[in-house]
Amino acid sequence: MKDEEIDDVLMKAAQAPDDLKPEMLQRIADSIKPSIRPVRPLPPSWLMTGELVLVCAAVSLAGAARAGFFGFEKMDLLERLLIFSVLALFAWLAGNLFVSEMIPGSLRRYSPSALLGLGSVTLLGVFAFLFRDYQIDHFVSIGIVCLFTGLLHAIPAVFLSWLLLRRGFALNPVFAGLAAGTLGGLAGVGVLELHCPNFQAAHILVWHTAVVPLSGAAGALVAWTLRFRTGLNARQRATR
Amino acid sequence: MGPQMQWTMGNSLREYAGAGTDCMKALPLMSPDSNLEMLMARYQQGDFGAATSLIGRISPQLRRFFLAQSESRADADDLLQETWLRIHKVRHTYRPGEPALPWFYAIARHVRVDHYRKSIRTIVGEQKLEAMSKDASSVPGESDHVHRLEALLAPLPESQREVIEMLKVSGMSLEEVARATSSSVGSVKQKVHRAYKKLREKMGATGLAKGRSGGLS
Repeated sequence: MKDEEIDDVLMKAAQAPDDLKPEMLQRIADSIKPSIRPVRPLPPSWLMTGELVLVCAAVSLAGAARAGFFGFEKMDLLERLLIFSVLALFAWLAGNLFVSEMIPGSLRRYSPSALLGLGSVTLLGVFAFLFRDYQIDHFVSIGIVCLFTGLLHAIPAVFLSWLLLRRGFALNPVFAGLAAGTLGGLAGVGVLELHCPNFQAAHILVWHTAVVPLSGAAGALVAWTLRFRTGLNARQRATR
Repeated sequence: MGPQMQWTMGNSLREYAGAGTDCMKALPLMSPDSNLEMLMARYQQGDFGAATSLIGRISPQLRRFFLAQSESRADADDLLQETWLRIHKVRHTYRPGEPALPWFYAIARHVRVDHYRKSIRTIVGEQKLEAMSKDASSVPGESDHVHRLEALLAPLPESQREVIEMLKVSGMSLEEVARATSSSVGSVKQKVHRAYKKLREKMGATGLAKGRSGGLS
């Protein structure tokens, strides 16, 4: 059986008369009529993405300004260029994905999990290429502080990003949370790169990079919990 | 609702869709999809006529989409109303210039998934699907239901069914289906390929290809 024949069968089946009544259409129209009024459409994607990147940059700069730009001062030109251009690129991609997740019918060229994986691997590659000090001093005690600092700065970045896109409508809140968490994680890594003067490879590879996947996972988990609770509340209301 | 309101509604549907009150008959005569974007922009500006026109044009497709997902007719009607309420609530998320049909379908898809999640009807849905699958694999011409789209698509998994419905029945492009399902074009192509393989096996096994000359026309 050829594809054209299947097309033909489907088309003929689709032409079967339906029993959608005009009264139903009338009822739908009546239900929306009282609240019909002009609404302001969302701005273009590039504009919202740009705003999200600016929010991330602002959070990173504010965090580093408070703690000190020790890491940035210690870096050479190549390190500065490579690290911050990669962070900016992935912040743009994560921002764009977050915008797509908040607007129904957007074209999605990559998934949030793929971006999270690619971003983490790229950061690992860049850090492994740039930092060659393989000493390990106070690996866990110093590392935990960096991880905590990074995650702590991811929270305001995610919150401000969500505030910017609050008029959007997430069809898949978990994916939206994952994209927002990744974006926040990149802001957290930005703070660490600007501030942390510890250039030991193991420290940066493990504790700095870990901010991105952990923040992404936390974003997805929070979104899943909120959706679960919302569903639960709706069910409870329905059964009352 | 008074007769005056009914006339207004019917009149606006005819005006915008070039159709009578029977919207299903009017569907093939509709103007190109680009008008949907124009109507959507006017709906965002608060034009009730554009809203009624959109309801007349999109509702049959959306209802068919719900029916193809093995919903009962009553459920499909409920979901259709729920979808329009949601569309109305989030109409500001449509951006002028973007294709409107994937936007409608993306919301309809969300409402359907939400409906399942809230009512925990997955198991019932699977039972229905199984029952419909048996219908679809029965001898063509046995019952009118066999010829319905939902019965034809019943053997397919949900993700493939919705893609086939959008692509082949609603006439959306691969990119539009990808937009509506929040996936990539490659993923849509893969689903279509797998669905056709399965349909080919099913239709070949039941002799539906032969039946289409007599049974389906």
